[in-house]
Amino acid sequence: MTLLSVRDLRVSFPRPTGGRVEVVRGITFDLGRERLGIVGESGSGKSMTGRALMGLIAPPGRVAAARMDFDGTDLTGLTPAGWRALRGARMSMVLQDPKFSLNPVMRVGDQIGEALAFHARLSARNRRARVLETLAAVRIDDPERVYRLYPHEISGGMGQRVMIAMMVILEPALLIADEPTSALDVSVREQVLEIMDDLVRRRGMGLMLISHDLNMVARWCDRILVMFDGRVVEEIAAGRLHDATHPYTRGLIASLPRMDETRAELPVLDRAALARGA
Amino acid sequence: MIEVRDLSVRYGPALVLDGVSFSVAEGESFALVGESGSGKSTILKALAGQVADWSGRMALSGQDVGRQSRRDLAALMQMVFQDPYGSLHPRRTVDDALAEPLAIHGIGDRDARVLAMLDAVGLARRFRFRLPHQLSGGQRQRVAIARALMLSPRVLLLDEPTSALDVSVQAEILNLLKRLRAEKGLTFLLVTHDLTVVSFLCDRLGVLRAGRLEEISDVALLRAGRLQSAYGRELVARSHGGRPTEAPARP
Amino acid sequence: MTARDWLLDEDPATRAQARAGQAYRLATALAGNALAMVGLAIILALLVVAAFAPWLAPYSPVQGDLGARLLPPSAAHWMGTDELGRDILSRVIHGARITLFIVLLVAVIAAPLGLIIGAVSGYFGGWTDRILMGVTDIFLSMPRLILALAFVAALGPGIENAVIAIAITAWPVYARIARAETLTFRNADFVAAIRMQGAGHARVIGLHIVPLCLSSTIVRVTLDMAGIILTAAGLGFLGLGAQPPLPEWGAMISKGRAFILDQWWVATMPGFAIVIVSLGFCLFGDGLRDVLDPRQRARG
Repeated sequence: MTLLSVRDLRVSFPRPTGGRVEVVRGITFDLGRERLGIVGESGSGKSMTGRALMGLIAPPGRVAAARMDFDGTDLTGLTPAGWRALRGARMSMVLQDPKFSLNPVMRVGDQIGEALAFHARLSARNRRARVLETLAAVRIDDPERVYRLYPHEISGGMGQRVMIAMMVILEPALLIADEPTSALDVSVREQVLEIMDDLVRRRGMGLMLISHDLNMVARWCDRILVMFDGRVVEEIAAGRLHDATHPYTRGLIASLPRMDETRAELPVLDRAALARGA
Repeated sequence: MIEVRDLSVRYGPALVLDGVSFSVAEGESFALVGESGSGKSTILKALAGQVADWSGRMALSGQDVGRQSRRDLAALMQMVFQDPYGSLHPRRTVDDALAEPLAIHGIGDRDARVLAMLDAVGLARRFRFRLPHQLSGGQRQRVAIARALMLSPRVLLLDEPTSALDVSVQAEILNLLKRLRAEKGLTFLLVTHDLTVVSFLCDRLGVLRAGRLEEISDVALLRAGRLQSAYGRELVARSHGGRPTEAPARP
Repeated sequence: MTARDWLLDEDPATRAQARAGQAYRLATALAGNALAMVGLAIILALLVVAAFAPWLAPYSPVQGDLGARLLPPSAAHWMGTDELGRDILSRVIHGARITLFIVLLVAVIAAPLGLIIGAVSGYFGGWTDRILMGVTDIFLSMPRLILALAFVAALGPGIENAVIAIAITAWPVYARIARAETLTFRNADFVAAIRMQGAGHARVIGLHIVPLCLSSTIVRVTLDMAGIILTAAGLGFLGLGAQPPLPEWGAMISKGRAFILDQWWVATMPGFAIVIVSLGFCLFGDGLRDVLDPRQRARG
């Protein structure tokens, strides 16, 4: 079944010299209870797409869409109060760097429990139990201890797991992850992705994984949208990435160095030609 | 060209590097790989003179690093940093950045040298008087490389030079570094966590773990997937993606 | 190609064009701020009045007509006359010179001093920082006017000594600002890069650190101008600044205090002058901050 249905989504910002510049230029896709990857380089509009879906584009930015339906709710005309009721409870977002997303003067456990206090009426004891349960679900070995820690006392990987716990505690239907591992050390990236993947599959959530890392997205998603210059240039099943037809996707794959690299020179994208073709 | 013997570095009570030894021949490209916290960046900082508390021996071109004056060292060795946003002065134009080393060392003919260097790093001449915020990440990294090469050093220290860049821009910068090295006979000491970059750019690599060198191998072994140490093989396996949930179909 | 195109060219051909272009962008941004323009107009008016005081003033600022004492504002004397029959308007106009003299001298002495101390302190850190900031804090902990009073008392009254005293009390703020700015980028890669090119500490501080602290200091100086004028006026009011018969605004208020109930204009007119000029500097400083401060600009 379709969880999220987007038709002709556009995001624009005013230009300092007058007029508006579109950073997302009419994208259309459907998302079921599956794992969808959005890949693109900086400036491709991939992050803005994620933020637009969460209602996080603040004025003077403007979001317009022919249709934007999420699980029976029309997102195009949602009031700020409507967004607040939706965010966290039914869709939530994991951001790049846990350091900037956690409140430094609040205990980790209390922060995770805050969403519960806001969206669900639970006694303090039940709330605590739910938080500990969720911490255990993101494979934190000693949830009792971590519950009492402050954000500066935990590592980046642990921080991102705490963020994920915070985002899934209300069991939302859709999780949007914007570069969830790029601030993390290589050694813990896989682990964080695995935890997220496991939660998403077990709870039957939809996942939207936004990243610049083609290989990572190919590994952890079912379907991939490749974005370039505010548009989706290619939609492809993750396993068939090597059959990509669009010159941009092919160029991206070719420009990555390989472990058994023997090429004297890496092929480089011809941006001018791509812009003309796009 | 670079000789490091028993290098140990302490930050307060913590031992960050524990008796690291390696040497890099003239014209060679050597990589230091490891996770963050392995001490790989600390080695570069020590060589660059940014670490106070170290013991052991570091020599460049046969001379101890500590005994050379800053100026002599500058003409011999330069560094390219990871973050192209932080490594350029926000209020100084490309021209200022490139002309500064010449001014410090009293080298004349600055206009011609700056223009020649812009051409060498593939940066259009019209960017000469732009400020950093008017440049893209890749262009800034080209400026940083150009600045490092203004004094015609023989050694270039590269601290994750492409990890802050987009994939397609990374390819451009890697190609540029490879070409410059061949043209100018530079010696590279590269620090990275990305083994595929090592495979493209380097001749040998050292694997660091918790301040110790686990192994030094030829890059041919990395390409063949036959690193000697278990930890080195683990790093390789991890950058292949560890345990995929579904085996990606190969064409 | 028009001059505007030349200035706004993204790819300037020469160093001079690049600099002119930057200055032009700054000026256009500033011109878009109406309040800053009001402030600038007031400051320019002050400059003009000070420069042409002898021609603008209808009467002598020191010679009074004893027959025309304490006259209320009229067509002949727009701001009235004081207890010695001197035209208050003429005195206010000539007073603009003194005010400008004090403000500029304080800015020229205090701002560079604070800037250098702050940059050195922040750049080197450690004991240098502790000692320099200790001294700064001692100065900061004392009320400005009281400290200035103490210095004037030691140096003797007079306008030059008042300037020195105010400058001595004004620099610690700039040192604090410069140090805070310096701390945010002393470990930045661009400082490491320039050090690696063989630059000495003096070059790094002078050419790389100080220019980055400059804009916030300039903003702070403009905002402080009002405070400096008021301190100078306060010293004048207490009889420790400009000495009679110099038409310093603070001293004029002090004199007018005796007649404030019956002849209100004697004290009020120089008071207006102080308020308007202070306001001018404040508005202009606010506008400058909006334009210069990259943190403010980054928003939106």
